[in-house]
Amino acid sequence: MTVFSLVLLTYFMVVSGFVYDVIVEPPGIGSTQDPATGAVRPVVFLPGRVNGQYIIEGLSSGFMFVLGGIGIVLLDLALDKNRARSVKVSYAIAGISSVVIAYVMTTLFIRIKIPGYLREKREAFVRDDDLQLGYF
Amino acid sequence: PFFASNTTLVAYFFGKEIWDSGAGLVAAILIAVCPGYISRSVAGSYDNEGVAIFALLFTFYVFVKAVNTGSLAWSLASAFGYFYMVFYFLDWVKHMLSDTKLFQAFLRITVTSAVAVGGIALGLGMVSGYISPWTGRFYSLLDPTYAKDHIPIIASVSEHQPTAWSSFMFDFHILLFLFPAGLYFCFKRLSDATIFIVMYGLTSMYFAGVMVRLILVATPAVCLISAIAVSATVKNLTVLLRSKNKVVQTGSTKGSGGSKSSSKALLDQSQPFQKNGAIALLFGAFYLLSRYATHCTWVTSEAYSSPSIVLAARGAHGNRVIFDDYREAYFWLRQNTPQDAKVMSWWDYGYQITAMGNRTVIVDNNTWNNTHIATVGRAMSSYEDEAIEIIRSLDVDYVLVVFGGVTGYSSDDINKFLWMVRIGGGVFPVIKEPDYLVNGEYRVDKGAAPKMLNCLMYKLCYYRFGEMMTEYGKPPGYDRARGVEIGNKDVKLEHLEEAFTTSNWIVRIYRVKPPNNRW
Repeated sequence: MTVFSLVLLTYFMVVSGFVYDVIVEPPGIGSTQDPATGAVRPVVFLPGRVNGQYIIEGLSSGFMFVLGGIGIVLLDLALDKNRARSVKVSYAIAGISSVVIAYVMTTLFIRIKIPGYLREKREAFVRDDDLQLGYF
Repeated sequence: PFFASNTTLVAYFFGKEIWDSGAGLVAAILIAVCPGYISRSVAGSYDNEGVAIFALLFTFYVFVKAVNTGSLAWSLASAFGYFYMVFYFLDWVKHMLSDTKLFQAFLRITVTSAVAVGGIALGLGMVSGYISPWTGRFYSLLDPTYAKDHIPIIASVSEHQPTAWSSFMFDFHILLFLFPAGLYFCFKRLSDATIFIVMYGLTSMYFAGVMVRLILVATPAVCLISAIAVSATVKNLTVLLRSKNKVVQTGSTKGSGGSKSSSKALLDQSQPFQKNGAIALLFGAFYLLSRYATHCTWVTSEAYSSPSIVLAARGAHGNRVIFDDYREAYFWLRQNTPQDAKVMSWWDYGYQITAMGNRTVIVDNNTWNNTHIATVGRAMSSYEDEAIEIIRSLDVDYVLVVFGGVTGYSSDDINKFLWMVRIGGGVFPVIKEPDYLVNGEYRVDKGAAPKMLNCLMYKLCYYRFGEMMTEYGKPPGYDRARGVEIGNKDVKLEHLEEAFTTSNWIVRIYRVKPPNNRW
């Protein structure tokens, strides 16, 4: 059990881009200036490219992934025969809601980050960032 | 794609070995569409990596089979699989040690578990390209900050960057949820095979976090473990459905092979909505999997299938605009320069120039000589008088640069220029990066550093650009890729002359003038 939680913790760190954070040292959250008022607004998601992030967006997405994983685990625990019925039902509800929330949030995040997600738009730089042996 | 289909087959057998045939089926389906793998195996991109992943998966499958059955035949087969993998790996190797093979074969047969780890490391070596563990790229996997500080050319390749969460999401989608769940199921049913796949999965995920390119190596493990999660969950749900009434399973085509309805005791609680709940959850599972398939096909069609040499963009009215400048320039080179002309450009375009322009290049994508590339970087970053000496010493006839200021194309040489400075400065300390920056900022407008405004790359890119109207309402010389008006519009070249500029100014070629006659 402890091994599994350690594994989950490591997974969380890897998937939230911890190595990226350590090496590239992006800011915790980005900021942009509102052109009309001049006020500084925070920007949560680094726009424009797939392989870049701010620290907070990485951590929240990683949390969503782990939440989804735990949701499925809870579903499996809910089907285990050796528990009280109320516990099973609550596990089932928690599991289902975790998966649903995680999936919805993750899709929302990726939609914010990549404006052309699941759309026919074709931009020259999408391909370049992902695969070209080139630069940002 | 042929090898990719074989990989799917192997994934099925591997899944069957680790868990059961249901998991095998799911694994095969997942890996068939996973973008992480498709990125290296699309039609038209035959590469070592497509075959190497097949060999890797096949070797691991045979290894696990050998461990499970304990038969000598399978062990020999795994040794052969290993050699097959090593063979494709050696294709990449620049400096081979002939006795390494024998030594590793000896290790393989005698110390099987140690070799499992070695197999993973070699799999990584396959995609990284070096056998010796102390080479830069390998070392940067263990110490990710190494490349950033010591070897700029490795740090500059975008595929060698550490991975952000969105790259994971892009390549894996719902597999990211299924992976920890699958790990849980593996921990529940521990066997040699599941321990092996867990180790492979965790190690490969860590390395994938360090370097984007290694998502490819992690893909088979993630697909297999996710398949275990899917299979186990669906099996749990279908068992609920197979009640005493012998209700036919609705819509479940995966993961039902071999499930025994030994849990009739489970339904003693006889909740009337238990079956409906299970049906709903099954539909939910199918919905998620169908979203995954949609995502994968979208990613493949948008990001991994488009040619990168012909650029496309949306015009102002939503119509598609095509920029074919690269090919225009390469064919100009092919038809208008002497056969033995030598072209100097940044290494990104080396293979393209060689293949399509049919001319010799100074540096190309095979970036094994760092000093040579640094020499080119130094030439690009120097003033024209210093640069021409380097250019003449390299016996260059033509210089090619890529410029995105007219079209707004952002992967041009001006955006890559700082890397040229870093790489050049890594070998020739006379090139210092702060000389080109203003307060740490990289600028090309009036406030730019004087060295930046007069270096060769700037001059070659912005020659005659000062008179160019690029956008309505903006002054002439407005760089659309940087979004600023350039600082030095009056560019004069002394030792080079313009030979060709493509129709959208994306590729610019200059001829090196012969030295002046001396009195």
